[in-house]
Amino acid sequence: MKKISFILNSEKRNVYVEPNDLLLDVLREKLGIKSPKYGCGRGDCGLCTILLNGKSVRTCLILAIEADGQEILTVEGLSKDKLTPLQESFINHNSFQCGFCAPGMIMTATELLEKNQNPAEEEVKEAISGNLCRCTGYTPIIEAILDVNKK
Amino acid sequence: MAIAHEFEYFKPESVEGVIELLLKYKGKARLLAGGTDLVVRIKDGLEFPEAVIDIKGLTELGKLEFKNNRLFIGSLVTFNDLIDSKIVEEKFSLLWESSKTIASMGIRNRATIVGNICSAVPSLDSGPVLLVYEANVVVKGSEGERIIPILDWFLGPRKTALNADEFVYEITISLPEKKNGGSYVKLGRYNGEDLAQVGLGILALEGNEYRLAFCAVGPLPCRAKKIEALLNGKSLTDSLIEEAKNLVPEEISPITDVRATKEYRLHMAKIMFERGIKAAVERLNGKGPAYGKKLI
Amino acid sequence: MEEFKFIGKPVDRLDEREKVTGAAKYVDDIEFGPNLLYAEIVESPYAHALIKSIDASEAEKAPGVIKVVMGKDFPYKFGLYMKDRYIFAQDRVRFVGEQVAAVIARDPKTALKAAKLVKVEYEPVPSVFDPIEALKEDAPVIHPELGNYPHVPWFFPKGGTNVAHHTKVRKGNVEKGFKEADFVFEDTYRIPRYAHCCMETHIAVGFLDYSGRLTVWASSASPHTQRNLFADVLAPLGFSHKDIRVIAPYVGGDFGGKAGVTMEIIAVALATAVKGHPVKIMWRRDQEFYNTYMRQQVISKIKVGVKNDGTITAFEITNYWDAGPYVEYGANVVNASGLSATGPYRIPNVKIDSYCIYTNLPAAGPYRGFGYSEMLFSVESHMTRIANAIGIDQVEFRRRNAIREGDSLAYGAPMNPNGLLEAIDKVVKEIDWGKKEISNDPDKAIGKGFAIFWKAPAMPPNVSSTAFIKFSEDGSLNIIVSGMEIGQGYLTAMAQIAAEILTVPPEKIRVELPDTDRNPYNWQTVASQSTWGNGNAVKRAALQIRDRIFEVVHEVYHYDKDTLYLEDEKVKCKLHPSFELPLKDFVIGGIQTEDGTYRGGAIVGSGSFMPEFTSAVQDPETGQGGHPNVHYTVGAAAVKIEIDKQTGKVRILKAVEALDAGKAINPMNIKHQIYGGLLQGFATALYEDMRFDENGKILNPNFTDYKIPTSLDIPDEVVPIIVEVPQPDGPFGARGIGEHPMIPAAPLIANAVEDALGIRIKSMPITAEKIAMAILNGKKEVDDFLMIMKK
Repeated sequence: MKKISFILNSEKRNVYVEPNDLLLDVLREKLGIKSPKYGCGRGDCGLCTILLNGKSVRTCLILAIEADGQEILTVEGLSKDKLTPLQESFINHNSFQCGFCAPGMIMTATELLEKNQNPAEEEVKEAISGNLCRCTGYTPIIEAILDVNKK
Repeated sequence: MAIAHEFEYFKPESVEGVIELLLKYKGKARLLAGGTDLVVRIKDGLEFPEAVIDIKGLTELGKLEFKNNRLFIGSLVTFNDLIDSKIVEEKFSLLWESSKTIASMGIRNRATIVGNICSAVPSLDSGPVLLVYEANVVVKGSEGERIIPILDWFLGPRKTALNADEFVYEITISLPEKKNGGSYVKLGRYNGEDLAQVGLGILALEGNEYRLAFCAVGPLPCRAKKIEALLNGKSLTDSLIEEAKNLVPEEISPITDVRATKEYRLHMAKIMFERGIKAAVERLNGKGPAYGKKLI
Repeated sequence: MEEFKFIGKPVDRLDEREKVTGAAKYVDDIEFGPNLLYAEIVESPYAHALIKSIDASEAEKAPGVIKVVMGKDFPYKFGLYMKDRYIFAQDRVRFVGEQVAAVIARDPKTALKAAKLVKVEYEPVPSVFDPIEALKEDAPVIHPELGNYPHVPWFFPKGGTNVAHHTKVRKGNVEKGFKEADFVFEDTYRIPRYAHCCMETHIAVGFLDYSGRLTVWASSASPHTQRNLFADVLAPLGFSHKDIRVIAPYVGGDFGGKAGVTMEIIAVALATAVKGHPVKIMWRRDQEFYNTYMRQQVISKIKVGVKNDGTITAFEITNYWDAGPYVEYGANVVNASGLSATGPYRIPNVKIDSYCIYTNLPAAGPYRGFGYSEMLFSVESHMTRIANAIGIDQVEFRRRNAIREGDSLAYGAPMNPNGLLEAIDKVVKEIDWGKKEISNDPDKAIGKGFAIFWKAPAMPPNVSSTAFIKFSEDGSLNIIVSGMEIGQGYLTAMAQIAAEILTVPPEKIRVELPDTDRNPYNWQTVASQSTWGNGNAVKRAALQIRDRIFEVVHEVYHYDKDTLYLEDEKVKCKLHPSFELPLKDFVIGGIQTEDGTYRGGAIVGSGSFMPEFTSAVQDPETGQGGHPNVHYTVGAAAVKIEIDKQTGKVRILKAVEALDAGKAINPMNIKHQIYGGLLQGFATALYEDMRFDENGKILNPNFTDYKIPTSLDIPDEVVPIIVEVPQPDGPFGARGIGEHPMIPAAPLIANAVEDALGIRIKSMPITAEKIAMAILNGKKEVDDFLMIMKK
């Protein structure tokens, strides 16, 4: 067991991990972070996505130990006080149905809007193309993202 | 889900540290950068290393630099790093275009081009592009530094020229001296992320020089020497393209699998060649579709 | 036109905030404490084999392993419509991946490692993967005991064969009908297996506490039906319904795959083996593909006769369904779609044979459309071809033959009010049908496709929905139901119905997720009948509350009950405009009278709804005589595509779909169902491509090689249209639409491809490869079927 520490949603956390523990499992089982989900275990579906040092990554493909000294942001971190304009936009558009893809989708869209305040529709589709959603047909999700900074 | 296989984890801070560990574990260690290939294989029971050596402790490996007309791509440089780089987009547009076809944001933020060539899967998208750029792979090992031309790098499916005590330090690409245009054409089953069923990288250089390389249609990615021999020195005409298309079956050996039949792959390879080479030449002449626009 | 305040409005989803903040809990998000155990399954590598021996000794000895369980520990059969399934394989395995044993351990890694230590000896026996092959005399019989299996009275298994059920419909006289026809056309279509690919895989946690009470948390569309099946299976161990509790939190997608019971039964069995410990079993993505329900394969032979003016005189269809080795649910897919296999047409002479056939591919069952998505590919492909063959515009052909209210259905009952013609007209207008479009690019071809479709809820004739409603002190409501929010917007629709009657706005309404201890009965969240059935129950409960409110107000104020009404959460009186009594002032505390005493008290309501006109007593030889379906929801759809003639790739330029929702409770959510369902359907047509090797093993149980749509794959434009021809017995006129958006998608593509290229592709999927090779090889008809890959 090795003790690692990293910033999780603005708070420094310590946790003991084995080399073969996956970041997804450690977040969910040891740190109470339930928003990233298991969908495929191969990086193909995006359900496990969080922001690592500001970049969207698949936690099912990252060993927990690699998070040592890094900074992680999840949906729980976004929802602490006020919701972000992106989250409010999703609510206004009734974007999500079963909601299982929502956390991963939200983190990816958060990264996109950080880099590009007013993405074009094609750029939105490109950015979220690694986040699978079986319910919505994507249109309400894309519209919500486009709507965030539309003035 | 969980990984049952147990292994040691190391994060050395120097090149020497990496080599020391490689020597200690005699081929039973695996290097970890992005992990998007290695972690899946450990989960699937296809790799069972005794140790995982995380090279992310060597910050020098994150270098992406253009110096003396050469592009230096450290082994921690991700595909998104390449896409975000203005230098790559403007001076190595073919590399930029092929990087954009790979996977999706969350994978490209981690997956490295060095990791891609080390995996040496037959369908790797960086393969054709590095082959036509005639890149060099700089490796460091217990015997010192070696430079392996990319043309000598791929030995077979998942087999490279890297020795067990070596690791890739960086890839270098010399900026082609002549003006050039390129295209990377990739066959997938739909618009979303896919492994190439056929991949084709083309570089057209001023003075009627052409370089082509395929991936996913043979055990290794390789240059299409016969087509190059036919085209070199000639300016592109419709009849020349037709003649070259007829050589495609001699350059590739596609198979049938769950992704595509060999007949479709062969058919598409010809179409991709035709559209790809036209686009490459148009781009060489400052025209043609913008890099990143899909040709098929 | 009645103006509603909440019905027909795009009300915000009740669950959206939870889902967007990460607060929404799914089964794997619940903490079960340090005593939680984990299970890993030992699976069969063979499609059909006898189990000679199981040696778990090494696994049992591994540190951290609590127990290993297997078939002999649970020799109990179960099944929804027929009992042909075991918790663990008994003496034989019937598909690759079937569960043979399970290792229960303290942590997941130990369970994974120990499962590999269980040694099973098999004796492979011949297997069969094709439904027509499985009917042959010499085919291996997959269920030798079929003749003894208990089943619902409207199923007809043929013991000694692989025919688990055969639906027969005979109306009029097809021989005569074909003789009357001027043109008869016959062909065969092949539709392969598909996977639901819900984002959340199946998961269940079973916990038998020390007092003997069993609780199961499951990602389920059917908590009460699950409890019923669990009680049935565990009866030999002394359990009955009151001993079992099923809790279903949010479900991450269902599409039919989480109906009934599949792997949840394993969690139940395991729980009984480790009393006092919750035990979790969660499917990996590959298991989600091969060990839940798949969508059935079907070979559809169809023959239609028409007169020169396009009138259909006779319709004959034989559907051979490959339902896998356990058809306890799949047999009803065969039955339900069998009764409706004509599609939404008025046809005097009908012969339908729908066979449910056992094979050794994985178990198959309900998937969005419940057989209609599968078989409508053949019907709507065929109708277009016939119209073209006799030179009548295919939309006009459909108009002429479209079923109307009152027409007799294939099984004799009358068709309900419906807006099929209106849907057709609206789609025709939106897609600009009749205008041929040519691409500017000589390498591309543009084509348009059209289809009409229908579906009725497929369920037993006595399906009940119930609801409780209660107030809180602030006048807010809790609606307590056992329908599931699987993403379709169910909670919101129920809130809107109660809101309309009680005038409490949806923001002040909670709809509680099921817990069979507390929430009243609901059959299953399937069949697109929740808005209709559950909605009626909620409406009744709300009306009961309203009656009670008026009763109490009448008692205290003496106003006539028919002069009272509710508005803005207050009781008002038509005769006394100044009278306003806020609900929150008395719905808990009662109304104080002049002498200081109170009347009323806490107000609650309940509602129960079960259709009383449905019956499953049809004649097994003709299908006539019963009233198996409550009503049909109909629709029309069209698509405009552009095909790259060299690569075969299809780009969907525009998709239009009109659905008759009766009354759209929440139009925004209905449109969202259309976006999602159409895309799901288009994917089955264009690139979802399940493959098996010649030994019945699935080759692509992952998203790397079974491709489901991404944001880059959506049509350029989707136009959802809502038609409203009220359903007389629906809440506010509503009927269900959840499955329907997907149903026409596949024939739309086939018809559009033919329109663009003159090539008819009769097998799914219609991949770029199939199209390109057909063009390259100059083929006009394609029926390549690649699902089983021969070496």
